[in-house]
Amino acid sequence: MRRRQFIGSLASASLVGAGLPGCSRKPPLQVGVHPWIGYESLYLAEEFGWLKDSVALVKGGTGSESVRGLLEGRLDAAAITLDEALRVMALGVPLAVIAVMDVSAGADVIMARPGMQSLDDLRGKKVAVELAGVSAIMLLRALEQAGLEPSELDVVDLPVHQHSRAWQRGEIDASVSYEPVASVLETRGAIRLFDSRSLPETIFDVLVVNRDRAGKLRPALRDLLAGHFRGLSHLVRSFHDAIYRIATRQQVTPEAVRRALATVMLPDLSANQRYLAPGGRVEQVAASLIQLMLREGLLKMPVDLKGLCDASFLPRGPL
Amino acid sequence: MKLLPRLPWLFLLLVLDAPVATASEGLTLGVSAYRPADVMVMQYQPLADYLSEKTGLDVRLEVLAEDDMNRALAANQLDLFLTNPSHFLVIRSERSVTGVLATVLRQSGATSTASLGGVIIARPQRDDINRLEDLDGRMIASPGVHFLGGYQSQLLELIEVGVDLRRRGRVKLLGSHDRVVRSVLAGDVDAGFIRTGILEQMSAENPRLRDQLKVLNAQNLSGFPYEVSTRLYPEWPLVALPHVDQARVRRIASALFALNSEDPAAQAAGIAGFAPPADYQSVELLARELRIAPYDRAPQLTWLDAFHQYRFWVIAVGLLLALLLASSVWLGRKKRQLATEQRRLRRLILSWPQPMLMIRDGRFFDFNRAAVELLRCPSDDFVMGKAVASFMPPLQPDGQASVARADNVMERVRGGVVESGEWVFERADGSQLWADMTLAPIHEGGEQDNVILCALYDVTRRKQAEQRQRLAASVFEHAREAIFITDEHGMVIDVNGAYSSMIGYSRARAIGRLPPLPLEEGPGILHTARERGFWAGEFESKRADGKGLTLALTVSRVLDERDTLTHFVGIFSDISRLKEQENRLRTMAHYDALTQLPNRSLFADRLQQTMAQERRQDDHLAVVYIDLDHFKPVNDAFGHGAGDELLVEVASRMRSTLREEDTLARLGGDEFAAIIVNVQDRANLENLLKRLLAEIAEPVWVADHMVEVSGSVGVTLYPQAAELDGDQLLRQADQAMYRAKQAGRNGYCLFDAGDTGA
Repeated sequence: MRRRQFIGSLASASLVGAGLPGCSRKPPLQVGVHPWIGYESLYLAEEFGWLKDSVALVKGGTGSESVRGLLEGRLDAAAITLDEALRVMALGVPLAVIAVMDVSAGADVIMARPGMQSLDDLRGKKVAVELAGVSAIMLLRALEQAGLEPSELDVVDLPVHQHSRAWQRGEIDASVSYEPVASVLETRGAIRLFDSRSLPETIFDVLVVNRDRAGKLRPALRDLLAGHFRGLSHLVRSFHDAIYRIATRQQVTPEAVRRALATVMLPDLSANQRYLAPGGRVEQVAASLIQLMLREGLLKMPVDLKGLCDASFLPRGPL
Repeated sequence: MKLLPRLPWLFLLLVLDAPVATASEGLTLGVSAYRPADVMVMQYQPLADYLSEKTGLDVRLEVLAEDDMNRALAANQLDLFLTNPSHFLVIRSERSVTGVLATVLRQSGATSTASLGGVIIARPQRDDINRLEDLDGRMIASPGVHFLGGYQSQLLELIEVGVDLRRRGRVKLLGSHDRVVRSVLAGDVDAGFIRTGILEQMSAENPRLRDQLKVLNAQNLSGFPYEVSTRLYPEWPLVALPHVDQARVRRIASALFALNSEDPAAQAAGIAGFAPPADYQSVELLARELRIAPYDRAPQLTWLDAFHQYRFWVIAVGLLLALLLASSVWLGRKKRQLATEQRRLRRLILSWPQPMLMIRDGRFFDFNRAAVELLRCPSDDFVMGKAVASFMPPLQPDGQASVARADNVMERVRGGVVESGEWVFERADGSQLWADMTLAPIHEGGEQDNVILCALYDVTRRKQAEQRQRLAASVFEHAREAIFITDEHGMVIDVNGAYSSMIGYSRARAIGRLPPLPLEEGPGILHTARERGFWAGEFESKRADGKGLTLALTVSRVLDERDTLTHFVGIFSDISRLKEQENRLRTMAHYDALTQLPNRSLFADRLQQTMAQERRQDDHLAVVYIDLDHFKPVNDAFGHGAGDELLVEVASRMRSTLREEDTLARLGGDEFAAIIVNVQDRANLENLLKRLLAEIAEPVWVADHMVEVSGSVGVTLYPQAAELDGDQLLRQADQAMYRAKQAGRNGYCLFDAGDTGA
């Protein structure tokens, strides 16, 4: 649930280099993950032993840790948002999207003071948003839909974990955030003005791999995706079991997990094949994201999208 | 006859009609007895009452064990039933049901859950049972195989850690969870399987219970109100059977959903109410995974189905099989052919008289009889696995170490070259063997093994002959003696170096000519050699440059095996120096060193010869004895050198006075003697003597002084009346000389008979 978790709020339990005993043949694939409902399939796969020895999950607290790991070369692969992937690529690390973990369908939300009716009401209001994260994309897309310019708002660049306090002090009128901050704000009287359900198939959480290393890691990447889809299958089919396990790991109630799961779509194998197809949704979204991010200065230079999606690691047959 | 086919239909209608007929009277709710019947009734009667009250229907509770419920269902005696999800799947597979009306929401304290799982319990005293793996082969109690929380969920967890209870364990089926707990407590079994919630319910009745049991593989799921050992599945479904009127079903459903947790009915049953039907897919997956009812049998597939489904594969596999069969037959035949070839080849090699060995990785691994015999090995084992060099002396004749040379050659052979060369071997018995060894690679490029064929050819005899020949050639070439070989006619066909240097002809010039032969006998000596086997002799010959030399030659004939003469062999040496030496010695023995005149001994010889000759020819000879007068004073005055000079001069004068055929000898000191042959008459003789005296008396220039000496000469003649020998003659001449001396020197006296007395 803490996809873009507050930096430092969780101690990074980095397992880099710890490796797995008995796998002396090759160092295992280093995959950066952090707690987020869309990535739970990987945690479940690990818990049930469905990840082979060729794969090691490097559990970080936030997406930015995974981004750093990719940039520093410590990680071979990671689960991050699509815009984070593009930012990494702009810094010179070539990435390939090998799977779509989830698509936000309500997980990202704009919370506002009661009384606001529509996005138009945000005009001239103080809106807190973490520009370095996916929230920026959410806000920009939302404004685009409402025909507003970012300049028409008073944008306050604030890390998401500080939104609740700022709200409390009355420093902001709206917050672009996600769970669990959104729920916290709700309890403090905020209303949901807009959420990612209105931006269907726009905010993607993806599994990326360093393209330079993908060739050598081919078997391990297949193992990783096989594990992911098996975990996903458990999450969907053995829902009664999964919610308790997720709740335990995320230290929330099963009910909260149930709610969180409702805010994301977890694409199965065939949906993944559709998303990753050449000219598919991921490519389209990435292309328009680049336009947007360049325009808003979130990206310094354009990113070459050639070879961005690589569906070749997806499991072949039925699971 | 027409009625008979209708009968089953009638029966069916009756059966279907039966519940409908009883519907107005109420509904029967069957509840699976997972706990003892009295407990079940206590818990669920309020629910039945609640439903009766809410729906206005008479809902009767029937607590049924699994089998009873099955029977009741088969008899269509139930309208609603509440059972565990696995049992529900079995029922659903056997008959049609309307689907799940609602899923139980179980209540525990303040929390509710629609999930259930399995619990694995054991007594805490059992230190040997702590992990799932420890259950392998144990006696385990379970309420029944259709219990999801009491059997199936545990089974899956155990299978995932590699423990298959159905194969190796003993499971005691006790029918209810309470019995399982009691059986574990009593120690009848090692562990027990129960569903979630049982432990908590029973602990409520017996608070000490929890301390008497431990839970294995505890999952610790936050938000889940029970202790659990397995993953979770949806709770029990409440199902309506299809014969129940739809309106009633709706009424029941609305009553179920309306039940809230505070209601006494809910409280009694320990539930929080009912949730919308859950997705029982996970239970189905479990059943499929475990291959238990209703998925305990793989779907019946006909061959035709399989063929239609896998048409391409069937054809492909069929083709491949056919290909495989064909290639196997073909390979088999090839293999037999190959084996025959191989046997033939092997026989050929083994029986081949030439020694042959096979080398792999530098060691013999196969060989024939001939090889073992050639190397004189006591057995085959002696050769097997040995390196080539182990049958060789440390060094080869060319000075190379055998091992190094062999390795070298092997390396080249491995590269594809055929190598052949002469090697010295040391046989097993220590004797030396010269062999021509040929090494040939018999592997091909792709083969892993480096197999080399080693063929040996014994050349020891040839080698020994060669050695003898070389020795002979060496003798021939290096002998100090000149050696020639001729054909049967005596024409030279070969000569050695000594021949060339001795005779002065080059080898080319010498060949085709006669060898040096004695002048007189010439090729006659060859005849002698032909007859007698050899000829030996010495003779004078000439070098090419005309210089004379003396040769000592031995010529031997050479016969072939049929005693036909084929060659002559001559050996000669140059004995010229030897001859010279001999001459010089002879001169020294017969001549006076100072004057070069014959000495007394030669004089005596000559006298003997001359006397004989004169006797034969009836001639006369005179023996003259000459003594120089006053010689001693010269010697004394001017020294012995001067004396010698004087003697030489006087001797020379006397010699020139005498004729060539006469002999002058120095007998010693200043005494000389001469033999005058062919004395015609006395006058001639006396003239000669006078000339002789005159010559002696001529002054002589010695040591820068003019010296004059004279001679006293005595003469005697031969033959005389009496037969005399030489000595007597000389003595007569001496006596005559003595008279001449007495007569005043510088004169001569002829011997007469009176001298003898004087």
